[in-house]
Amino acid sequence: MTKTIVVTSGKGGVGKTTTSASIATGLARRGFKTVVIDFDVGLRNLDLIMGCERRVVYDLVNLVNQESSLHQTLIKDKRLENLYILPASQTRDKDALTIEGIARVMHKLKKAEFDYIICDSPAGIEKGAKMALYFADEAIVTTNPEVSSVRDSDRILGILQSESKRSKMNEDPVKEHLLITRYNPARVKDGQMLSVDDIVDLLAIPLLGIIPESPSVLESSNAGKPVILDDESEAGQAYSDAIDRLLGEAKPHRFMEVQKKGILKRIFG
Amino acid sequence: MYTFMSLKVGVADVDIIDASLADKVLQAPGFFSNTPVVVDLSPLDGDEEAADKLDPAALVACIRRHKLVPIVAATHDKTSPLAQTIELPLIESSARRISGAAKSESTPAKADGAAAETPASAEPLVTEREVEYIARKPLIIDRPVRSGQQIYARDTDLIIIGQVGAGAEVVADNNIHVYGPLRGKALCGVSGDTNTNIFCQSLEAELVSVAGIYRQLETIPEELRGKAAKVYLEDERLNIGPL
Repeated sequence: MTKTIVVTSGKGGVGKTTTSASIATGLARRGFKTVVIDFDVGLRNLDLIMGCERRVVYDLVNLVNQESSLHQTLIKDKRLENLYILPASQTRDKDALTIEGIARVMHKLKKAEFDYIICDSPAGIEKGAKMALYFADEAIVTTNPEVSSVRDSDRILGILQSESKRSKMNEDPVKEHLLITRYNPARVKDGQMLSVDDIVDLLAIPLLGIIPESPSVLESSNAGKPVILDDESEAGQAYSDAIDRLLGEAKPHRFMEVQKKGILKRIFG
Repeated sequence: MYTFMSLKVGVADVDIIDASLADKVLQAPGFFSNTPVVVDLSPLDGDEEAADKLDPAALVACIRRHKLVPIVAATHDKTSPLAQTIELPLIESSARRISGAAKSESTPAKADGAAAETPASAEPLVTEREVEYIARKPLIIDRPVRSGQQIYARDTDLIIIGQVGAGAEVVADNNIHVYGPLRGKALCGVSGDTNTNIFCQSLEAELVSVAGIYRQLETIPEELRGKAAKVYLEDERLNIGPL
């Protein structure tokens, strides 16, 4: 059974693409055949984060318009056997996508026996975002610990409930997961950021994970390597934990407290 | 059979209509947004002077400006110049015919008989909607109401099991019950029932309103914020008390 997961947020710049890349990579690393689709037509980014920007020939719009085959369009990841990337078009805009066209793509991916389809949503609540979430079975709502991001996440949760295929067909609702990114316990303690408890209280959906703010996220993005592959970094470990929870394992949340620096760290940084 | 809201046009001055619409829509902006309305011209039937003064295009534009959607015009006199020029389909008005005849009798009836039909009975002008209470099942929402969502319980109570998020709107003709924090807007008694209440487990609302009388968060007493509370009208004043 293919599972379709949308990574969405409403607000831009909160870490949707970073999360999509790491979640897809994490699932592929556990042996699941996974494809990650960039729905941000016109503002293609996922290929950079995945490090395959030089290998894009055909894109999602070509596939939707039946100008290319699935085999031609999918980019096979160089690091992992089971991982494929479906890039967005950079020269078109969101109007190039249609529900019927996306439905055909989804059908082809299901026939190709993918275990997971990860949809990287563009920001906003317009057509692109609605297309990305339409076919979702589950949703990872990416939220930063600040009020505007939380409000936008609440809005997108409402849209998931009313505009997804599951809601329109009166099927079981989309399963919602909260992923808090760029969490900085020290700034939470100072009152500059919302705490995990505040966010969970405001959004009232189950918590999938907390990704701490970490320089390794930016370093990985620049290197074109999903941060989950950086096993040393806290962000990479946090994404790995989130994969465990996504697969149904109960794991305690980490990286919520201010880390006390040891004597050696204090001296050598 | 469908129920529509009707707008009774009793004056010819579009500015007055504009002002009263603005006032009405302000009471429940979300509720009126994109609502279809019947433009009832029957109060003007027989009053040729007023009917002549009324600019039908300006009237329709004014209604649209308030985000209402005029769908049909209702009249008793489909042949009147006003009915003929308004760019809406015509239906027979369901309102009782009113006496505008005293005036029209003194003016000679036009050849096309525009005002001739108006009966000379002296029935009172029907303006108030006749409210009939029928026990209806409440509308129960068993999930959180999210920012940007709008729930309206027509002619009944609205019960929400979960929170009402900031930026969400819950509207009911009767009472509203929120079993969770109320952070958005809550408007009860929107069709004018002053005997309705809002009950919630934690009052953090952006705005609460009973029958069009509203208060914003700043005016909610500090000691009641975040507490279980009820919102009700007493002597046309909006009160908030602990539950």
